[in-house]
Amino acid sequence: MSSIWIPVALSQDILSGMAIPAHLPGHDLVVWRSASGRIAAWHDRCPHRGMRLSHGFVRGDFLSCIYHGWRYGENGHCSKIPAHPDLVPPAAIKVPRFDVREKSSVVWVAPTGQAGEPVDYRGFTGFRSLSVNAPADLIARAVEGEERLAGCSVVLLVQALQGRGCNLHVLAAEGYDTAQLDGLSLAIEVLRRRLEQAVAT
Amino acid sequence: MIATMQDHWYPVALASKLTRSGRDTLLLAQPIHVRAEASGAPVVTCDGRVLPVLVKFGHVWTSLGTPAGDVFDIPEAHQPGRRLVEVGSVKVRCSPLRAVENFLDIAHFPFVHTDVLGSEPHTEVERYEVEIRDDVNEVWATKVKFFQPQAARSAQGGITTEYMYRVPNPTCSVLYKTCPPRPGEWDVITIFVQPLTETTCEVWPWMALYDDDSTMTQMIHFQQLIFLQDRSILENQLPALLPLDPGQEIPTRADMLSIAYRRWLKRHGYTFGAQLVAA
Ligand code: FES
Ligand SMILES: [Fe+2]
Repeated sequence: MSSIWIPVALSQDILSGMAIPAHLPGHDLVVWRSASGRIAAWHDRCPHRGMRLSHGFVRGDFLSCIYHGWRYGENGHCSKIPAHPDLVPPAAIKVPRFDVREKSSVVWVAPTGQAGEPVDYRGFTGFRSLSVNAPADLIARAVEGEERLAGCSVVLLVQALQGRGCNLHVLAAEGYDTAQLDGLSLAIEVLRRRLEQAVAT
Repeated sequence: MIATMQDHWYPVALASKLTRSGRDTLLLAQPIHVRAEASGAPVVTCDGRVLPVLVKFGHVWTSLGTPAGDVFDIPEAHQPGRRLVEVGSVKVRCSPLRAVENFLDIAHFPFVHTDVLGSEPHTEVERYEVEIRDDVNEVWATKVKFFQPQAARSAQGGITTEYMYRVPNPTCSVLYKTCPPRPGEWDVITIFVQPLTETTCEVWPWMALYDDDSTMTQMIHFQQLIFLQDRSILENQLPALLPLDPGQEIPTRADMLSIAYRRWLKRHGYTFGAQLVAA
């Protein structure tokens, strides 16, 4: 598990037209999905006056900053500055990007230009993400080898957060019915409590 | 001689709300205590030392250093017939300088104060004039025009509003704005910012308006609503400190006033709440 790809969210939690904040150690990101369904992960900072882009709004295939409405398209290039409607923004104005992939309905992020692809957990799909108030390395060790919860086959992905505990992304094998998934939901809550208590004591 | 930031006056309380027990607060990261004497006169102390104090525009002002003169004046505010609106204060987790810069910014109206101070598609900021007036050591912007759906509580429908902005003190700004019920006069809207630390401040908006229709409560609420919208921006800008050196942020022509403000801050070493070298 020395992949440079980091799971930051589940696909289902970022609907078309949504922008959310996400975190890598040392970086704040905005992850957003265009109206046509394309996902992107950028630095969470507008180059104009430093506003967090995760507070922005999506229109069509563009993400706009909430402060002055600067609009950014694919590749992070600024395509419109509303204060100067006739100006073509210089190409130098762009938001730094990360590479992003969706596999097994997990959103994976990595620095741009790295080789390799994230692990593909075939036959699994994203079930739930939850934040756990405990250090990522401890949680990773605690859940290692954990493949079944409440009778369901699962994959547990731990995402480290800087000073903020960690996120646990739970993937479940495809094909369970509602009752089984309700059972899994409960088991996840129990797991979280167990993990947080284990760390607290 | 140009005063350092220590030698300027800062607002620390509303005179009308000051009590005998007073309040503990911060000024430029120093703990201070502000209270009223039995006579009602305000007293400000810092670690046992009595600081200079005066009351102006409804606020108690103080300084950690030696102020060269009185608090700047706003002659228009003394005209008869104006309603003086004491809004109170709002604490903001941002640099005091970022709070002032946001107050000087027009281009955000359609996006942050949607349908009140601006609305799409009326987003264009036309060229305006900016100058640093060395004789009075103030930054000014004039001939600023912007379309507003509801410029003030007293405004009916959209109008193109004209503004002038003035920065007479590193953390205070005065906005002069076309006055809907009284053409030819300017409404006066100010923010007085109390720098608590480099990344936190207390903002004291104050207004002197011609408005005979709104109640005091309505005028206060209007300004509070506007400011809370600004706060959601101010607490989410990165970096928290205002960058004074070019390179970290990308200004455009609409930002001429903020460019002049930053240049003026840097020239005078008004750097509490500023970032000097691009990180
Ligand atoms: S800070 Fe993003 S548009 Fe101005
Ligand atoms: Fe504003």
